[in-house]
Amino acid sequence: MAQAAPVAQPEVELTYDMPEQATLLSDAWRRLRRNRIALVGTVIIAILFITALISIVWTPYPVWLQAVGPTYQPPSGAHPLGLDQAGRDILSRIMGGALITVEVGIGSAIIVSLIGIPLGLLAGFYRGKVDTVISFFINIWYGIPDLLVALILVFVLSDALHLIPRGVFVIIIAFSLTRWMDVARLVRGQSLALREREFVEAARMAGARDFYLLVRHIFPNALGPIIVQATFAIPAAVLFEAFLSFLGLGLPSPTPSWGAMAADGYHGMDFAPHIVLAPTIALSLTLMAFNWLGDGLRDAFDPRMRR
Amino acid sequence: MRGTLLYIGQRLILIAITTVLVSSIVFLLLHQIPGNAFLNENRQTPQALAAELHHYGLDLPLQQQYVNWVQGVLHGDLGESLVNHGVKISPLLIRETSVSATVGFFALLVTVGLGLILGVIAALRQNTWVDYIASSAAVIGYSVPSFVIAIFGLLIFGHYLYVWTGGTLFYQPGWGKPEQIPVPALALGLPYASYVARLTRASMLETIRTDYVRTAWAKGLKARVVVFRHALRNALIPVVTILGPLVTGIITGSVVIENIFGIPGLGKEFVTSILARDYNIVIGVFTFYAGLVGLANLTVDVVYPVLDPRIRY
Repeated sequence: MAQAAPVAQPEVELTYDMPEQATLLSDAWRRLRRNRIALVGTVIIAILFITALISIVWTPYPVWLQAVGPTYQPPSGAHPLGLDQAGRDILSRIMGGALITVEVGIGSAIIVSLIGIPLGLLAGFYRGKVDTVISFFINIWYGIPDLLVALILVFVLSDALHLIPRGVFVIIIAFSLTRWMDVARLVRGQSLALREREFVEAARMAGARDFYLLVRHIFPNALGPIIVQATFAIPAAVLFEAFLSFLGLGLPSPTPSWGAMAADGYHGMDFAPHIVLAPTIALSLTLMAFNWLGDGLRDAFDPRMRR
Repeated sequence: MRGTLLYIGQRLILIAITTVLVSSIVFLLLHQIPGNAFLNENRQTPQALAAELHHYGLDLPLQQQYVNWVQGVLHGDLGESLVNHGVKISPLLIRETSVSATVGFFALLVTVGLGLILGVIAALRQNTWVDYIASSAAVIGYSVPSFVIAIFGLLIFGHYLYVWTGGTLFYQPGWGKPEQIPVPALALGLPYASYVARLTRASMLETIRTDYVRTAWAKGLKARVVVFRHALRNALIPVVTILGPLVTGIITGSVVIENIFGIPGLGKEFVTSILARDYNIVIGVFTFYAGLVGLANLTVDVVYPVLDPRIRY
């Protein structure tokens, strides 16, 4: 048998039409861009963040400065949103309120995730007793009027015990302690389903430890739904802060919280509606924007959920 | 039937346990507060103060106070107001619950009624201007918090309507007359109505495309029968699942609504008592709320199998 002559390998540049590399985020972003209402939400949120950042270094007037003009002055050229009952510039206070809103919203989303993700991962991954205990707490927590517990927590932690000064931080803590279940329940479900998947099994066969499996395999695959849930936590926390401050149980007085501003303006509503309108509209727009973004993200991360 | 009763019994016990457990947290939290409840009444002599503390059992060790309190709760006795001496809390709260329940009931009516009507119409007229208007209203409505709607309601019906009609027709905040119910009920119900409308529209759209609904049309049934008896009944299932959180939302939402509209219900009492540091009432209102939320969720779970016979207890 004659040895087959080695076939000359033609020098060919192998080019494939590779589809563009799509990571979870870039893929979601591509779908999100096509969703017009989610884009509007994103734009409003971008404006909110920029306003909040600007307000750190500059506002037209200091947010606490009283009597920059006549009290209850309606909108004018010098004060585009008018002045409130103490003669403070409302535009400046709305800008300062944007910063507080961002702090409360983002801070709460982070803490809620920090509590909910580990609990959910553990419950879904280990099942059995761990799951029973964690699920028991989730169910108990769902049975309580969360806003009211949070309200009492803020009151006790800062007014009565003086553990944490009344401010943004205590509101974030109180909110997170009463609303961690949404994330926990979602992550539990994800982790329960993912732990049975082949790639997790393969990693386990390869000798991966539980911690590695949880952090490198299960968590990244649950990331989409987690981002969606965390996005929905933001408007809930913002609303909670406004709700507390409106009742006079939230941020203390000179702080330009939108809820507190609404409460201020509410008393002079008959003759100076501009005081109450500015913060309530800003608040509603913010909540709307985050809800729209959340809806858009949900559709983007999970194409099957398309309505 | 026996299974259902057994299930309800189990749930009632669980609700009682949850209520006591949750209000225990509030009880213990509030009893961590340093000083005593009568610090503000500084005209008292030490003897009078001691007598007062003794009267409320506040001179006992915390464990004993807690045991007494739990026993009281289980017997329906929530103790006495710390500010208005001699006022029993349980009857007071029962009276206020009836007020809150009235507002809550009408708010729920707005939520479910308006939400269902808008959702069904939007689904049946999909992609027409009716659908677009209803859907946009729902998308905006569910993000506007109820206290903002309340403020706008007060501004429009309380102030502008007064100006336009020259003071003949307008909304007067307060409680006691039937014409004072609609505005607060709308404010409380509208955000959730938008949510129900969105949900109904989505599930109705899914249902009217199913085979059995097509069969119903093909049989030549009247539109009314197809829509209400065949399609809507199945489309309602996802709506019923969110009724539980919805009722909780209406109950917590009533706290701020009652304060805005000056309605003497549980929510107003809650805030007033916190500000007045009347801890006994705060704990009491909280216990009521926890129980109400539990009962509301139970009611929803009992109604559920009526709509979806696949679910049995």
